[in-house]
Amino acid sequence: MFYNILKVKINNKKINVKKMEEIKYRIKPYEKPENIRYPNSEISIDVRDLKKYFRGKKSYDDVKAVDGISFQVKSGELFGFLGPNGAGKTTTIQILIGLLKPTDGTALVNGYDIHEDLPNIKELIGVCPQEPAVFKQLTGKENIELFGNLHLMPKVEIKRRTETLLKTLDLARASNRKSKGYSGGMLRQLNMIIALIHDPMILFLDEPTVGMDPRVRRKTWEFIGSLKQVNKTIFLTTHYIEEAEALCDRVAIIDYGELLDIGSPKELMEKYQSDDLEGVFMKITGRRIMEGI
Amino acid sequence: MKMQRLLALSKTDLKKTFREPAFFFLMLLFPALLTLSFGFAFSDPELGMSFNAMAPGLFAYACIFIIMTVSQSFTELREHGLLRRLNATPMTSGDFIGSKIISNIIIAMLQVLVVFLLALPFGFSPNTNIGGLLLAFLLMAIFSLSSVGLGLITATIAKSSGTATGLSFIFILPQMFFGTFLPITSTTRVIARVIPSYYATDAISSIFNGDSLLTNNILIDFAFVSIVSIAIIIIGIQLFKKYGNK
Repeated sequence: MFYNILKVKINNKKINVKKMEEIKYRIKPYEKPENIRYPNSEISIDVRDLKKYFRGKKSYDDVKAVDGISFQVKSGELFGFLGPNGAGKTTTIQILIGLLKPTDGTALVNGYDIHEDLPNIKELIGVCPQEPAVFKQLTGKENIELFGNLHLMPKVEIKRRTETLLKTLDLARASNRKSKGYSGGMLRQLNMIIALIHDPMILFLDEPTVGMDPRVRRKTWEFIGSLKQVNKTIFLTTHYIEEAEALCDRVAIIDYGELLDIGSPKELMEKYQSDDLEGVFMKITGRRIMEGI
Repeated sequence: MKMQRLLALSKTDLKKTFREPAFFFLMLLFPALLTLSFGFAFSDPELGMSFNAMAPGLFAYACIFIIMTVSQSFTELREHGLLRRLNATPMTSGDFIGSKIISNIIIAMLQVLVVFLLALPFGFSPNTNIGGLLLAFLLMAIFSLSSVGLGLITATIAKSSGTATGLSFIFILPQMFFGTFLPITSTTRVIARVIPSYYATDAISSIFNGDSLLTNNILIDFAFVSIVSIAIIIIGIQLFKKYGNK
């Protein structure tokens, strides 16, 4: 397994991201009601010439946040979407989850078109936004239960999955406290549990580990890796390139709204003759700056 | 609209309100303090003013005040990214706004109840039966719909919860001065005639004065409040869906 042999550097410490298979995904999948249709698609996300332009008051204020990108994410794949700040990563996610309408182009999420089938898409996806979005006056548990109810899960399932997820991500002890008093790391974990409560097929994780201390971050990354074993499709954006290298099956590098390259970390490292993905990232995005594109 | 979602969102809204000290003060303690202050200030017979005449205005004022809290609550959801997160779930805008209406009507009714109970020791004696009381509460519930609608309109315009507080006074002040507990003159009545709180207060005053519940005056007031409240909530929902739900 790729995970077994790859060593990554976190906070200047070489650590082994190994035995990833041994981290059991201990949560029994939630049996969805029959009315939630799952088209049998091998491609989870199919982005087709997607564009998003934000019009400013003057023409020079216009921003091409996403400029005609196309790519596919296979079912069960852990897909890294990398790029510098303002590259268009979050805008792409927001289009895919139905929060923004594209200027042009389209995308299919598990076969459903973002222009026509948003309600079906929303049943299938879990979203972990960049900034923790939780109700501060509610306890951790109440926050999770609310989102379970929004997905119309049976009460018993909500309770069972809430408890298991809280235990898995080490948040059980704080779960009855108001989330107002949570640390930044705890809020991010709660943020992720909320995204997972309804056992989504496709998970969008937007910078899920920013602000976490190294220990919690590592645990979270192990958890994300374990989700792959239960065939979840994970669409991940991150600034931690070394972790993307360790975890992702394939990565896409985006800058100024354009897709610069796509492939497995190994393929890209070979192609750009670099020892690590960070070198690839710097070569691709740095070269663009030098060329003045 | 799904009942499970409606209940979960309404419960969340109520918990948020009662666990946040500032909201709790605005929602329940403020109307209580207002009633007590007015009770002590105006119930003395020496002043020659009747607290009975003032109390219905206080009920309406309690409902008007939720404009501020509704607008703050919506803008806060937007500021904290919660609106986006909720919009990424299968929740519909009907579920969301429906739950806001339910929770805010419950809060408005609690406020009216607080004002009602605190007004009694100051000599407020409604001259009506249980049917009249129920009709008065129903009217306040319908009237509070307009406040939710105006709160939505405020939240659509305001970029932040701080701005929402200030902007909400655009809707609160005219309703307070031209339709609740302050005396109306022949001049101000012209303005009051286009303000729903005037009709709500007028209907409640008539009910508590012992008028028959089916008099033309009460029915016209009731119809006006209902039509205007429904119109305002529809406008609020449409504006918020189009411009504020981002």
